[in-house]
Amino acid sequence: MDAKAGFQLGVLRRMARGLAYGVGWRRDGLDGYERLIAAIYGQPDRVPVLMQPYTYAMRLNRLSARTFFTRPRPFIHASMNTARYFEVDFWSPVFDFYNIEVEALGQTLIWREESEPDVDTRRPLLPERESFSKLKPPVPGKSGRMPFVLESYERYSELMGVPPIVYACSPFTMAVLIRGYVNLIRDVRRHPAFVHRLMEFLSMEVVVPWIQKMAEKVQPSMVTMSDAWASQPNVTTEMVREFCLPYIHKIIAATSSPTRTVLDTGSWGERWVKDFREVLDIKMEMMVPGNRFPALRPFFLLVWNEDYEEVGISHVRGYAEEKRVCLMLNFSPNLIEEGPVEAILEMVRKLLREGAGKGRMVLLLNLVPMGTPPEHLHALVASVKQWGNYPIAHDLDLLPLKIPEKPNYGIWREKEGLPVDES
Amino acid sequence: MAWEEELKRAICEGEEEQAERIVSAALDENINPWEILERGAIPGIIEAGRLWQEGEYFLPDVILATEAYNQVSVALEPLLSEGERRGRGSVVIGSVEGDAHEIGKNIVVAMLRGSGYQVTDLGIDVEKEAFVESVRESNPDVLGLGAYMTTTMRRMPEVIQSLIEAGLRERVKVIVGGAAVTEDYAKKIGADGYGKDAAQAVSLVERLLGGG
Repeated sequence: MDAKAGFQLGVLRRMARGLAYGVGWRRDGLDGYERLIAAIYGQPDRVPVLMQPYTYAMRLNRLSARTFFTRPRPFIHASMNTARYFEVDFWSPVFDFYNIEVEALGQTLIWREESEPDVDTRRPLLPERESFSKLKPPVPGKSGRMPFVLESYERYSELMGVPPIVYACSPFTMAVLIRGYVNLIRDVRRHPAFVHRLMEFLSMEVVVPWIQKMAEKVQPSMVTMSDAWASQPNVTTEMVREFCLPYIHKIIAATSSPTRTVLDTGSWGERWVKDFREVLDIKMEMMVPGNRFPALRPFFLLVWNEDYEEVGISHVRGYAEEKRVCLMLNFSPNLIEEGPVEAILEMVRKLLREGAGKGRMVLLLNLVPMGTPPEHLHALVASVKQWGNYPIAHDLDLLPLKIPEKPNYGIWREKEGLPVDES
Repeated sequence: MAWEEELKRAICEGEEEQAERIVSAALDENINPWEILERGAIPGIIEAGRLWQEGEYFLPDVILATEAYNQVSVALEPLLSEGERRGRGSVVIGSVEGDAHEIGKNIVVAMLRGSGYQVTDLGIDVEKEAFVESVRESNPDVLGLGAYMTTTMRRMPEVIQSLIEAGLRERVKVIVGGAAVTEDYAKKIGADGYGKDAAQAVSLVERLLGGG
């Protein structure tokens, strides 16, 4: 058996173990990856914590934005060190994934020393509709920072023994980034045929070839598209149905397979509409066709803290149970940073009490602000690990918590971390 | 329909070309520019704000209304007297350094202008020194700081600190807003107020200047 086949077999075995545990065959313990899979399809031993180390890893490892967002080894090593130091269950190599395709198309970015690069909204790639005819699709895997992404994913697979969750930018958000939000909104009203042509191009000539290239290189079992601009109130739900959903479905049809789920996590905005279920329904539609194997559907429903705090965790939990879908809830970045620890712990209790149900819940640390004191994160992770066991205890307030003592990050990295320079 | 109602509707519905035509026709009929703003354009943008607050309007509707209002106000502003331009008070506003997001800020600008305030828009990615300089030079009643990202909102206290160091903090009310910012954060950094959205920002300015 060659190395590639051996790798894939290993991944399938771990997925199967996680899945079997989730649905009730509990012979072995779970590692972090298996726990995540078990949570997606049923009840794991406890709620898993999934981390996107991102700019927190950059700061903790004292890397410049240029290094972190352009060099595969420092990026992956710093992210992995961070995830291991805080002992999360699983981590995802997140970079500025909204920018990769647009940069490859020629959109200029603004680079700063200490934060992620950002699209230069003052210089959109398509300032006029007429510029569209000059747009050339990127060379998948070669244009812009696409080589950085592929090499990073390869390094991740080598280190983790499983492929990463890979990311692509959804076409609507990409359209906003290269055309400018106001221009695109005007186009939607006055030149809808143009918007459809642009969406078709971005979907089939940019996103699909890029996902195919990533799939060829790292055989991901999961590809997620993100669509920040397709949130409410940025767009109406009618606009999502006309200008986003059909293209998401086309991309999924062109790139998913029985072993590869491709989905759009949607975005946010439940709190902005009169009936929050309307937004959740759209998210389900962006996810359900994601795998050709119906037994592996649906995947997860991601709801952000600003929304669940206003709509109510129990309401989104109720919706998820009705649809038999895993609920992924992020943890408020502001709360992680500002604390204090007791407020963080109180929120953990609330999330477990109202969100964990009888399984099918993942806690996501999507963004840990750069100024977050490490002790906030240690407390958060320890509390989920000690209190998040199924069945969730009724008396969470009375349960003790032991926060493990850790050396500071620098000392820990010296002894146990990977090098974050180019060596 | 009278021109006032037509202009109000054109602005509220974001029909900027139609709004410009109505303004042009009104000027041809020698209607006073201030009257055009006050009886047609301002009610239009205020109506858009009301519909937004009631959840009837989404951001695209407000953006298009804002665009139409801005178009009309740019055409009319040179025709106004100094007193009319100064309006109910003055506001300097901008997105803090490192933050290139401008949509929310632009809506706040339009809503404030629509409510009769003179607004100096410093744009996006504004360094703290530029805020301080603008406060020193134009002596506004209110300074508005916007930040969309948790990474950039950390610049807000730096601006406030710079105002203190320059001896200007007592001269100006500082308000903050943007997707990343919360009321608690505003209090923590010593801002005078926080606006969750554009309509709240206008109410806040009115309250701070003793008009609301």
